[in-house]
Amino acid sequence: MENPCEVLGSKGLIRRHEFVRIIIQCLYSLGYSNSASCLELESGVSYKSNELKLLESLILNGNWEDSIEYLNSIQDVLGETRESAMFLVFRQCVMEYLNCGEDALALGVLRKQVSALDVDNCKVHSLAMCLLSFKDRELGGIGDDDVVVRDLRRKLIADLENLLPPPISLPEARLEHLVESTVTAWVDSCMYHSSSNRLSLYEDHCCSRDQIPTRTTQILTGHKNEVWFVQFSNNGEYLASSSNDCTAIIWKVLEDGILTLKHTLNGHQHAVSFVAWSPDDTKLLTCGNTEVLKLWDVETGTCKHTFGNQGFVVSSCAWFPNSKQFACGSSDPEKGVCMWDCDGNVIKSWRGMRMPKVVDLAVTPDGEYLISIFMDKEIRILHMGTNAERVISEEHPITSLSVSGDSKFFIVNLNSQEIHMWDVAGKWDKPSRFTGHKQHKYVIRSCFGGLNNTFIASGSENSQVYIWNCRNPTPIEVLSGHSMTVNCVSWNPKIPQMLASASDDYTIRIWGPSFLKMGMPN
Amino acid sequence: MDLDPRQYENVAINDNDIHSIVLSYLIHNCYKESVESFITSTGAKQPADYLEDMDKRKRIFHFALEGNALKAIELTEQLAKDILENNKDLQFDLLSLHFVELVCSRKCTEALEFAQTKLGPFGKEPKYMEKLEDFMALLAYKEPEKSPMFHLLSLEYRQQVADSLNRAILAHLNLPRYTAMERLIQQATVVRQCLSQEAGKDGPPPFSLKDFLKS
Repeated sequence: MENPCEVLGSKGLIRRHEFVRIIIQCLYSLGYSNSASCLELESGVSYKSNELKLLESLILNGNWEDSIEYLNSIQDVLGETRESAMFLVFRQCVMEYLNCGEDALALGVLRKQVSALDVDNCKVHSLAMCLLSFKDRELGGIGDDDVVVRDLRRKLIADLENLLPPPISLPEARLEHLVESTVTAWVDSCMYHSSSNRLSLYEDHCCSRDQIPTRTTQILTGHKNEVWFVQFSNNGEYLASSSNDCTAIIWKVLEDGILTLKHTLNGHQHAVSFVAWSPDDTKLLTCGNTEVLKLWDVETGTCKHTFGNQGFVVSSCAWFPNSKQFACGSSDPEKGVCMWDCDGNVIKSWRGMRMPKVVDLAVTPDGEYLISIFMDKEIRILHMGTNAERVISEEHPITSLSVSGDSKFFIVNLNSQEIHMWDVAGKWDKPSRFTGHKQHKYVIRSCFGGLNNTFIASGSENSQVYIWNCRNPTPIEVLSGHSMTVNCVSWNPKIPQMLASASDDYTIRIWGPSFLKMGMPN
Repeated sequence: MDLDPRQYENVAINDNDIHSIVLSYLIHNCYKESVESFITSTGAKQPADYLEDMDKRKRIFHFALEGNALKAIELTEQLAKDILENNKDLQFDLLSLHFVELVCSRKCTEALEFAQTKLGPFGKEPKYMEKLEDFMALLAYKEPEKSPMFHLLSLEYRQQVADSLNRAILAHLNLPRYTAMERLIQQATVVRQCLSQEAGKDGPPPFSLKDFLKS
C-alpha cells in the first residue's frame, strides 16, 4: 500500500497517490481498462474511493434507504451538494416505483422526503409532473426489463460521481485538464507565437524570434521619389507599391523569396497614394492623390479603365469579394462613398449633406462590412446585409485603417501615436492600444500579420518599423534600416516571415527572419 | 370632482334605463328574491323565463364557489350538455378545482389518480401544461397552503372559476355575459384614462370608483 504522504516532483508539491489515481482515471477513459486495473493492483491505489464503492453497491441493489442514510453521513458532502445528491437518489426511487405501478409509494416518497430537501423548486415540480403520465416521460415504456433498470442505476451512479467532490470522486478528465492548462500558459506567454507552430508536449513551448521578420533581406530601388504605399497581393505572389514619382510598380515574389520588378504602371499625373489588389489578384486599383482612379490588369500591366476626371478626388478604395465591384471614398465632402463596377458604372452611393471627407475605407474580406473613416475621428461600420450602422468616435485624428484577414478585427493609426484595435462585431467597449512608434504629422499605415493575425506592424516617423504581438501594447521588435519616415508596411499573407516597408527615402525594404532561409510554402 | 358638475344636468336619464341596469345586475348574480321585490316596488317589466334558470344557476355557482366542482359539473351538464364540451378551458379549471379539493382534504392518492385519469389528457396541449405543472406540484407539499402555488387553494381563485362558469351559462342562455353596471363602470374608467393621458397633467385624473362613491 502506498504511503499517502509520499511526494513527487522537484519541489515536492505533487502527492504520489493523487498522481497515480489521476493516471488510472486517464487509462480508464482512454479505454485501457486492463492496464488501469493492473495499475490499481500494482500501486494499491484504487480509482474509486471507498465511499463511492459503497454507494455504488447500495444503489445497484436498489437499497434506497441505506443510500440516503449513507449520503447523509459522509463528512465531505455537505450543503447543496448533499441535497442535490439525495434528490437524485430519491428521484430514481420515485421513477422505479412508478415503473412498477406503485404510484402510492412514489407519491409517498415525493411528499415525505423530496419536499423536505433544500433543492430548487423546479426540480421537485418537474418530478411531480412525472407522476402524472409516467409513460410519456424520459423513462417511459421501460417495462420490467431488469437490464434497463440496471442501466439507469448506473447512470445515477455516474451522475453522482460528477456531483460529489474530490477526494470521493475526481473531476472528469483531470489529467487532460492539467496538461491543457500548462500548454495554454505556454501559448499565452509566447510573444513570438504563430499558431502554425506545432506544440509538442516533449518541449516547453516558446517560439523564438527567428520566426518573425527582423532583418533586411532586400532593398528595392525602383521608385524615383518617396514611396507612400506597399501591399502584397492576396496570394502573396506579388507586391504592389506606389510613389510620389506618379507611378505604381508590381513586383513578383520569386521562389527563393527575392522580388523582381514585373511592371511599372505609368499614367497618373500626380503622386499615387493608394493601391488595392482585387481579391482574385487579377486587377489592381491605383488612386492618384487628388486625381483619378485607375484600374490595371496585373498580368499585362495595362490600364483597363480610368474612373472619374479632374474633379474626382478619391482618397482610398476597397474591393468586394467578387473582384468585380469596389467602393471608393472621396476626400471631397460632397461625394461620400460610392460603389462602382469595373466598367465604370456607379452601383450605389452613400452621399449626404452631412457626409464628411473620407479618410480611409475598407471592406472586410468576407464582404459583410464596409468600414469608413470620416474626417477625421469617426469610424463607421456598415453591415452590408442589414444596412445597420455602428459609429465609433475616436479622440484623436485617424490617418489609416487596416482590416485583419479573418474579418474580425481592424486597426486604426492615430495622430496621438497610438494604434487602436477594435472588433468588427462590436462587442468590445474599448480598443486594444499599441504604442512605441512615432506619428505626429504624416499618414502612417499599419497592418496585421502572421498566420492568424497575431502580429501588428506599423511604419513610423522615426524611420523604423515596429512590430507588436496583439496581446501586448509594447513592441516586440523595432526594425532599423530606413533613413527616413516609413509610411506603410505590408505583411505577406502567405509567407508569414516576409514583411515589406515603404519609406520617404525612396526605397522599399523586404524583411525576413534572422537565421532561417525564407521561401514560398509548398 | 373637477369636471363641471353642471354639465351633467344636460344629460337626461330615463328611469326605465336605471331599472334595467339594476335588474341586470340582480339577475346576473341570481338574487331571486331581490329581483321579485324590485319588480313589485318599481313596476318594472319582468324579463321572461328567467326564474327557473336563475335557481339552477345559483346552485351551480355556489357549488363551484365551495369547491364542489363535481356537483357543479353535473348540474351544468344537466342544464346544457355542450357548455363544457365547447369550453375546454372552463372544463379544465373545474376539474382542477376538484383536484385541489382532494389535495386539501389530504386525499393525495385519490388526487393523483384523479389527475392521471381526468387531467392527464389535457397535458397533450401546451397551453395546459404550465397550469398542470402548478397543480401537480401541489402534491409534493405536505402543507400545500404554504407552497408557492397557494393561490390555487384560495377563495379568490374559486370565485374566478365560478364567475367564468356563470358567464358561460349566461352566454348559453343568450343572456349578456357582463352586467350593464360592470360595463358602465369599465367604460367610465377607460374614457377617463384616455382623457387624462391626452391632456397630460392638466387633464382630469383617472376614474376612481372609490372617490366617486365618497363624493
